[in-house]
Amino acid sequence: MAMVEKARDDRASWRDAEPKHVAAQGGRGKAMARLIPVAVPAMLLVAALVLPAFMFTGDRRPDVPGLGPAAWPNVVLLLLGVFSSIWLAIEVWGLVKWRVSTSLSAPHDEDVYHYGKALVGIGLVIAFGWLLPYVGFAIACAGFLLIWCLYGGLRNPFVLVLVPTLGTIALLWMFMGLALMPLSRGVGIFDQFSVALLQLLGIY
Amino acid sequence: MQTIDLLFAGFASAFQIGAFLTVVVGLLVGVIAGALPGISFVNAMAMALPFTYAMNVTHAMLFLGGIYVGGVFGGSISAIMINVPGTPASLPATWDGYAMTKKGQVKRALTIAVTASAVGGLASALMLTFLSAPFAKFAMKFSQPEFFAATVLGLVSVIAIAKDKPIITMISLLSGMAIGTVGVDPLYGQARFSFGIPEVESGIRFVVVMIGLFAIGEVVDLVATDRDLRPKKADGKMAGASFRDIWNVKGAIARGTGLGCMIGVIPGAGATPGAVIAYGVEKQINPRGKEFGTGVEAGLAAPEAAKNATTGAAMVPLLTLGIPGSAATAIMLAAMMLQGVNPGPLLFIMDPSMVYTIFAAMIIANVLMIGAGVGVAQMFSTLMRTPPAILAGFIVILSLIGAYGVRNNIFDVHVCLIFGVIGWAMKRVGFPSAPMVLGVILGPLAERYFLTAVANSRQDYTVFFTRPISATILFLALIFVLWSLWPSVRSRIKRQPA
Repeated sequence: MAMVEKARDDRASWRDAEPKHVAAQGGRGKAMARLIPVAVPAMLLVAALVLPAFMFTGDRRPDVPGLGPAAWPNVVLLLLGVFSSIWLAIEVWGLVKWRVSTSLSAPHDEDVYHYGKALVGIGLVIAFGWLLPYVGFAIACAGFLLIWCLYGGLRNPFVLVLVPTLGTIALLWMFMGLALMPLSRGVGIFDQFSVALLQLLGIY
Repeated sequence: MQTIDLLFAGFASAFQIGAFLTVVVGLLVGVIAGALPGISFVNAMAMALPFTYAMNVTHAMLFLGGIYVGGVFGGSISAIMINVPGTPASLPATWDGYAMTKKGQVKRALTIAVTASAVGGLASALMLTFLSAPFAKFAMKFSQPEFFAATVLGLVSVIAIAKDKPIITMISLLSGMAIGTVGVDPLYGQARFSFGIPEVESGIRFVVVMIGLFAIGEVVDLVATDRDLRPKKADGKMAGASFRDIWNVKGAIARGTGLGCMIGVIPGAGATPGAVIAYGVEKQINPRGKEFGTGVEAGLAAPEAAKNATTGAAMVPLLTLGIPGSAATAIMLAAMMLQGVNPGPLLFIMDPSMVYTIFAAMIIANVLMIGAGVGVAQMFSTLMRTPPAILAGFIVILSLIGAYGVRNNIFDVHVCLIFGVIGWAMKRVGFPSAPMVLGVILGPLAERYFLTAVANSRQDYTVFFTRPISATILFLALIFVLWSLWPSVRSRIKRQPA
């Protein structure tokens, strides 16, 4: 039990201490850090209240036997609303009384967290997923690996050429060659390029 | 006797070259992935999912089972060597394991850790082998109300994941259950929350949600923190542990194994609570408890045995009831369902050969883990020199292929990306994602069992309480909730007067 107490003390001291990224961001960052724990339950509460109205689109069978298809989601959303209200009340109380979040605490395993870099990384991942059906897996994969390596701080030209090229070939062979997955070949000229590449690699 | 015969047949299948190599490869992938900080064995299993599409269901389970067993241990390699737990369950290994490394006893610590893990895992695999069949026979008596009650037990037991945050855990769980209601309902065939988008009508698959929540956020964190994964040189002697050293911690290993087996069976618990609770219990019981944290062998052995003892135990509810108890077993469920196999009590009658091959493979994997663990520890320093950017890039691609492969549909990739962003945000603010995943998995099951039970009993809602097994399970669920919440409530009461 002493271990549990120690963990509690550690967490308490962490909560008392100001996260480095918040300190670095100044007043605006502090305001955001205080706003998020209140905004999240508020948004969830609004969602729980509003979503039942949007449960069905178009025609809904008027008379169904038993509880009906809306019963279970309504119960889940009701409970979500109840718990969100409790969380919101706790957060507002904590904000007014101690000016800190009483429920949420950011992970404290890193000393420095580059939020800008993280957001760029998320942007790259989204761009990869979004471009995938248009440019095809081969080009998207090679391009993503190249940009990701540069983003990750790699500058060695040897690595920047080898990792995307060999990586893409290996992945194409594994998934399209062996697992026979119909990964996207892209559209238009990208489709033609993908087919030619797959023929060159002996996959088609 | 029949179990022994079936187990021998399972060993015969598992020792066939293809099956054996699948276990070995899975084990190595698991140990390596577990050892690399930022890639938990759950992420590795999620990434490995697309590879299983090309395998038959037995090989798919052997592969994932190997990753599971190897990955749960692998996290302790980096925890002991560089004080960075590869997986959350390996956190206790940093407390006494790294302290031993600092004393120059890295090899000794690794030997104790791998032996304790193997013993725990082996005991758990034997428990899985000999208890699953009677448990499945018992589960044959289950009807819809009992399955609903068992699912409720699984749902409420997630509170154990984050005991100190019960409200947030419940919100995470309910959010997952709400996501699980998207798409055509199981009884009336009407689409819900589809907003007129045809792809949404077929629902949001839990595998896609899981990959997004676990893998994408982890990858972004890996690059955004500039984590230096290279091991620091440990000075001093490199002497391994002798048989006497292992024998001296037999009590700790036995206690850890027992606790791990018990905790593993509880849906929602898993390796992390198992290891932490085993450490806490051992600290109380062991005569050297006050020295824990300074490099005491028992402080390393007990949690190591416990976390691997949860692996086989967690598969009992998966194979006998079709209810995954953890994210790792949820991925195994996904692999089975993608191959058209529905786990449950009938599986033991329909395909006992596959079931016992899985059991045999779990036993083999735990024995082989000793070799794999020591081998990977030797090559660990080389692996850790791989730049995080390269590792992370491949994880992203494999994760998105995994999401795409669920239905060969780009829509799932987009859903995965959305949950990736949500998962990253949740991680940054300390909002637990595991309950959400279990909500997405168990929510639709609970709805189906509830609606069919009520429909079959002609709208009699007392059916869940009038049937003895169902009522007992629901009572256990209530006890579990109270037991989980009690420490939090008690500490609040104590703090109130101050």
